[in-house]
Amino acid sequence: MTLTQFAAKNVLRNKFRAVMTVLGVAVAILTFMLLRTVTSAWTTASDFAAKDRVVTRHKITFLMMLPKRYIGQVRDIPGIKVATYANWFGGKDPKHEHEFFACFAVEQSYFDVFDEATFPAADKERWMQDRRGAIVGDVLAAKMGWKVGDKVTLESGIYRGEWEFNIDGIYTTTRRSMDRSQFIFHWDYTNDNAPAQVKDQIGWVISRVNDPSHVAEAGATIDKVFDDRDTQTLSMDEHAFQASFLGMMSTVLKAIDAISLAIMVIMMLILGNTIAMGVRERVSEYGTLRALGFLPKHIVTFILVESLVIGVLGGVLGIALSYPIVERGLGRWIEENMGSFLPYFRISPVNAGIAIALAAALGAAAASIPAYRASRQNVIDALRRVG
Amino acid sequence: MIPIRYNVRSLAVRRATTLATSLGIGLVVFVFAGALMLSNGVKKTLQTSGNPDIAMVMRAGSDNEMGSNMDEPNVHNVLAAPGVKKDEKGSPVGTGETVVVAAMPKLGAADNGISNVLLRGVRDNVMAFRPTVKIIDGRPARPGSEEVIIGTRLRGRFKGLQLNESFDLRKNRPAKVVGVFEDGGSAFESEVWVDADVLRQAYGREGSINVVRVRLESPAVFDSFKAQVESDKNLGFMAVRETEYYEKQSEGTSLFIGAMGTLIAVFFAMGAMIGAMITMYSAVANRQKEIGTLRALGFSRRSILTSFLLESTVLALLGGIVGAAASLGMGFVHFSMLNQASWSEVVFSFTPTPQILMTALTFAGGMGLFGGLFPAIRATRVSAIQAIRG
Amino acid sequence: MSNQASAPLIKLRGLKKTYTRGDESLTVLSGFDLDIAEGAFEALMGPSGSGKTTLLNIIAGLDRPTAGTLEVAGERIDSLGESALAKWRARNIGFIFQSYNLIPVLTALENVELPLLLTSLGPAERKKRAETALRVVGLEQRMGHYPKQLSGGQEQRVAIARALVNDPKLFVADEPTGDLDRQSADEILALLEKLNKEFNKTIVMVTHDPAAAERASVTRRLNKGALE
Repeated sequence: MTLTQFAAKNVLRNKFRAVMTVLGVAVAILTFMLLRTVTSAWTTASDFAAKDRVVTRHKITFLMMLPKRYIGQVRDIPGIKVATYANWFGGKDPKHEHEFFACFAVEQSYFDVFDEATFPAADKERWMQDRRGAIVGDVLAAKMGWKVGDKVTLESGIYRGEWEFNIDGIYTTTRRSMDRSQFIFHWDYTNDNAPAQVKDQIGWVISRVNDPSHVAEAGATIDKVFDDRDTQTLSMDEHAFQASFLGMMSTVLKAIDAISLAIMVIMMLILGNTIAMGVRERVSEYGTLRALGFLPKHIVTFILVESLVIGVLGGVLGIALSYPIVERGLGRWIEENMGSFLPYFRISPVNAGIAIALAAALGAAAASIPAYRASRQNVIDALRRVG
Repeated sequence: MIPIRYNVRSLAVRRATTLATSLGIGLVVFVFAGALMLSNGVKKTLQTSGNPDIAMVMRAGSDNEMGSNMDEPNVHNVLAAPGVKKDEKGSPVGTGETVVVAAMPKLGAADNGISNVLLRGVRDNVMAFRPTVKIIDGRPARPGSEEVIIGTRLRGRFKGLQLNESFDLRKNRPAKVVGVFEDGGSAFESEVWVDADVLRQAYGREGSINVVRVRLESPAVFDSFKAQVESDKNLGFMAVRETEYYEKQSEGTSLFIGAMGTLIAVFFAMGAMIGAMITMYSAVANRQKEIGTLRALGFSRRSILTSFLLESTVLALLGGIVGAAASLGMGFVHFSMLNQASWSEVVFSFTPTPQILMTALTFAGGMGLFGGLFPAIRATRVSAIQAIRG
Repeated sequence: MSNQASAPLIKLRGLKKTYTRGDESLTVLSGFDLDIAEGAFEALMGPSGSGKTTLLNIIAGLDRPTAGTLEVAGERIDSLGESALAKWRARNIGFIFQSYNLIPVLTALENVELPLLLTSLGPAERKKRAETALRVVGLEQRMGHYPKQLSGGQEQRVAIARALVNDPKLFVADEPTGDLDRQSADEILALLEKLNKEFNKTIVMVTHDPAAAERASVTRRLNKGALE
């Protein structure tokens, strides 16, 4: 038996209470993991943003459009490897009134710029030839029950009327920089019958640069080209673009962080309370140890180790419980129903690591006051106490 | 019946433990009450935003005002439909509006990013159309000018959105804030109202509008109004009650807050109950001699059970009261969220009501009751012999 | 009779202990001299409040005198700091308490091993010494048992083994038979006598039990903080 083992054995003093405390810590850590996964899911898009893509949109608002000829001028800029454009279609499937998904009218080079979208080459060929062809994300297809070959009709408030599409392919992604619920079709098709408001205009330009280390400068270069025109642009690298969306949710993210903090405080209270109770019951034991020659620092260490053991056990249990909940039930439901907001709802090992580290750190912090007080106890008074 | 004094004194004696446990419960109640208050605030904002006798007409298939695209002349078609209220002069009461969402730099706190603000291009008759809107500071904007009025919730949150300050609609198109308005907590309080023509010119939307709003003679005539407006398939319009529109707008946000709130409440409550259970089990274990004595004196098992249930409930309520009181402080906090449907920031407030506080306290009591149930049962198993054994 | 020819193991000179609480002060030990020889088995007796436990605590290095000096095996103990005293206790004192004071989550063997954790011995060596100590007190069969599985007398024997394991010069016992029935008490006293006569350990014991005092070689009486 070593000093650490001795300290750990003290956990067994009251097995029932120890188990309940581990459970309490586990619940707290589980909640923490779920909340952090929500925050991570939001920031995923920005974290996994492609490092070599720049998004160029109307300077004032993304609801205003750019003239189509701008794409040619962007392509001419040195350092731009490939550029494409897309329009927000704002479509809905009248058969599924309440389902919201992103619809993009794109130029053919879209999948060269977004090469993380993968689907069979044969399907891509078919799509290129089919004016009314559409490529949809696999999560969206699964939710709506669509298969390759299906015909889908969409309504749009911006592009008045009904539009028929053929599903030519279903894509999945190789990287998390793109969500899997998009509905993508040809810009030419919808532009032909578009209202004057949006005809011959493009929503935004997405470019890939040759040199990812200077992606921000590439954006500035693009904006300079259009600076003295009537319609000015605002270019941001994809990371900044996603981050600006996050900025609008900053209050929610802060609130979730605050709540995560609250649950950790609760965890500390539960663990601290249990440790304090144990310490109070063991005053004469600590007195005995001091009599035998153990120093106050030993006493502090014993109590801290005890707290750490319970904290870490609870942390591991909490993380273990969070995996099935997120990866199976809750996670799948969220990805399908709130996929545009939280496209990748998965446990990240980083979050698990943070959770364990917090459990340990807070476990030690929770025990610090009882530990300190126990170490300052007068030996003779401690020995006098019975039981 | 064992006097409640016994329980209160017992709680007081074990001060540290009582404090820790009830603090935990207090924290749970605080968060729970806060979530309820926010949910209520969201509902209030988006519900008061709707008027049951106002109908909105947009392009069919639009999710929201922004996605709808109509021609100016269509306004007359809509105003001519049956059921539209007429004013003293016999003209139909209605207005066409253009809506734009613009990115503007935020002010204040750590966040200096940009966020979206909803700009509404309104006609001269907008104040008459919406009598609930009141100017609380400054004055109304002059029609046809670059003067704008802002909703009170936007005040000071964005650069240039403050009385007598200016901001740019677009390059070389300044707008001046001349007034601040209030509208009973509705979503309009998070909007900037600009002259419709000025807005359309600035954004290149001459000749188009997003929505036509009409005042109906009564909410009951909506159905016939809707039928008429939607009858022309070429125009492709749809009509919706303003109240229903805002309800739908808040659906996503409400769903989200509801889901998060439930998740948090369930897990937090579990944690707090485990905390209460640990405390009460420990209390029972330490008071074996006392309980045995009570039994020896003649108190029944049931009175022991009741006594300990009472103790855990009082413990929980102590924390609950503190937590509920603290949550009232949230009433001063403003919560801005991206309204998923309109892509603009809406500012919500935490709105307390007596019902919410009662619910929060009941929740606390419930946690105390369920957390203390098993320990209380364990207490009843203590026999009178413990009084001697100790 | 103790051997007065060799230098005493314990030397107290002018030992005084006073407690002050606010304005009030209470003198527990009035200031006296005392010599205890090496290999002595001393019993300290006296009515409650006579200061015998306080005297024991000071000799054991658990408490410090308000005035006077204490020398144990030639070392001045009264002026040592807290940590130094703790280290000194670990090396030089074996404790035997009235309520045994075993750690309930440890087996008999682990309890005896406890003081060795303060030394630099390796795990194998620690185990060996602990087993040896348990053999001396006759409990090697029960080394894997927990305190709650042992009788009172057996618990006290484990405690004595624990006191023994570092091979200290001085054993300090505070009412070692106080919680035991007559038979177990006799067994414990016999064991203490064995330690004293066979291993030449010095034992200072506070007791109310006349039978215990009989086994001692010297009995001292305290009354109101002074030796009678």
